[in-house]
Amino acid sequence: MSLVTDSPVHSSSSDDFAAFLDAELDSNSLVSSPDEEAEDEESNDEEDAEDDKDLESDRKKRRKVEMLESTLEQEESTSQGTVEQKTEVSVEVDICQHPGSYGGMCYKCGQKVEEESGVTFGYIRKGLRIGNDEIDRLRSTDMKNLLRHRKLYLILDLDHTLLNSTLLVHLNPEEEYLKSQADSLQDVSKGSLFMLEFMHMMTKLRPFVRPFLKEASEMFEMYIYTMGDRPYALEMAKLLDPAREYFNAKVISRDDGTQRHQKGLDVVLGQESAVLILDDTENAWTKHKDNLILMERYHFFASSCRQFGFNCRSLSELKNDESEPDGALASVLKILKRIHSMFFDELGDDLAGRDVRQVLKMVRKEILKGCKLVFSRVFPTRFPADNHHLWKMAEQLGATCLTEVDPSVTHVISTDAGTEKSRWAVKERKFLVNPRWIETANFLWQKQPEENFPVSQTAKEE
Amino acid sequence: MFFHIVLERNMQLHPRHFGRNLREHLISKLMKDVEGTCSGRHGFVVAITGVESIGKGLIRDGTGFVTFPVKYQCVVFRPFKGEILEAVVTMVNKMGFFAEAGPVQIFVSNHLIPDDMEFQSGDMPNYTTSDGSVKIQKDSEVRLKIIGTRVDATEIFCIGTIKDDFLGVINDPTTI
Ligand SMILES: [Mg+2]
Ligand SMILES: [Zn+2]
Repeated sequence: MSLVTDSPVHSSSSDDFAAFLDAELDSNSLVSSPDEEAEDEESNDEEDAEDDKDLESDRKKRRKVEMLESTLEQEESTSQGTVEQKTEVSVEVDICQHPGSYGGMCYKCGQKVEEESGVTFGYIRKGLRIGNDEIDRLRSTDMKNLLRHRKLYLILDLDHTLLNSTLLVHLNPEEEYLKSQADSLQDVSKGSLFMLEFMHMMTKLRPFVRPFLKEASEMFEMYIYTMGDRPYALEMAKLLDPAREYFNAKVISRDDGTQRHQKGLDVVLGQESAVLILDDTENAWTKHKDNLILMERYHFFASSCRQFGFNCRSLSELKNDESEPDGALASVLKILKRIHSMFFDELGDDLAGRDVRQVLKMVRKEILKGCKLVFSRVFPTRFPADNHHLWKMAEQLGATCLTEVDPSVTHVISTDAGTEKSRWAVKERKFLVNPRWIETANFLWQKQPEENFPVSQTAKEE
Repeated sequence: MFFHIVLERNMQLHPRHFGRNLREHLISKLMKDVEGTCSGRHGFVVAITGVESIGKGLIRDGTGFVTFPVKYQCVVFRPFKGEILEAVVTMVNKMGFFAEAGPVQIFVSNHLIPDDMEFQSGDMPNYTTSDGSVKIQKDSEVRLKIIGTRVDATEIFCIGTIKDDFLGVINDPTTI
């Protein structure tokens, strides 16, 4: 005796069952025409072929009646009751453009479709795919809805933007104390430091993140978009949004993107002209730089500092943290509020034609408005100054940049207090600051107190 | 639709289970392995109701495991095109809503939601008629019609519609 001879019983018994089902459904269907029955017999062993077909024909006929009625209403013609039977089927096929699919079936007509065009939206539900035209349609109806609620879209990065995570094995001896300070996972809504042993990780939420999310959710429809994998993204979403008020089915991970190492707005069902992005990694958004508000990186754990090449002591080692009221999230929230109010309240009534990217530029230009800058020993010699990223950054912040000093200059940006221009600044009582003054203003979206950015005396000639 | 059918499966059992409880071991392993899974075109195995026969075991070379062909009766759930189902809404978004009937997930796209119901975003996204009398949101119970099914080895996908007579909300969670 061998199982090989027994095994066919298995398949044949299930075939019996399937055949029984098919037969059963056949006899139950009231409306199969003779030619359809003939077809059915041929495709007897094809899965579902018969029952689907019969019910489909049933459904088509039903729709035929509906369509016929609507045709009658429109054209007030009363002829061709039966001729319709044949033509209608092809008409119906023409009508459905198969706007999208779920599990390989058109979600409008139920037919099986080839999945080639469109974008998969696995983060909403596995097996969901939406065609490009449908995406456009959804975006534009959603846009109207959103504007009516005075909201825009906000895409939030996780790592170094809203939180910082580390593998437990990367905790150094000085950070071991954190393990005993981790907050309870029972009610995460009150905690900010979490030990996720099942993921071998520890996560620290950025200070101010909870008030930030709460206030931002009143102005924005929010998405999470991370380069982390899906299980990680969902776990972080649970920590940030335990009540699932903000990110329900709007958590996008690297598993859901359409391009490797890139984040794209194609998987976001929002119009690009209404999307803002908060992320610490500019390179992830090469196609959407104008939507991006670059965040200062939040490094809490030592491993995170090392990973980015900082040799300073981490916040965790210093038993310190970013400021709650003056940290990056608090300041970016102010910017978001500014952009929101400019978008909805200050630029007139034509909301439909408005582009948040333009508004973002305008708000950015207010930061160093009125400042006239001259650079000294900041760019390499003979480097085209107006091509340097600091020069461009200063201009985007609304400053005017000059190559030579004149009385209208307000700030000299220098790396060396001994240069001619630096000494001129001191003599003329102009501000003398180091380049971090511009970068910090850029990160914090706020002009910084000049005295916090002194220029060191590297070359002591005097 | 539910069906009571007989299926067969080859069960592998470790030699340590051989003894007077062999049959019990086989059956409990069968339940663990099969109940709640999707069995290809038969649908979801909801419950095993009885064992018809256990065939002769075949000792496998090398491992000492023995394979038994087991015939069992079970209740399976398999949705069909054209079937009317009652389902609970699990997620509502601008594309439509997802609902589940037991283990089966059904997607009803906004194309197949009556035109007079409009999507409302917010904390509790929903589809509501203009007069506010009918609302579909998470946990609503709806009666829907399946217009397409795809049964995989491990999953069943369904497309549903509520754009037809006698379909739609049958129970609004906010009024319970
Ligand atoms: Mg990041
Ligand atoms: Zn279609």
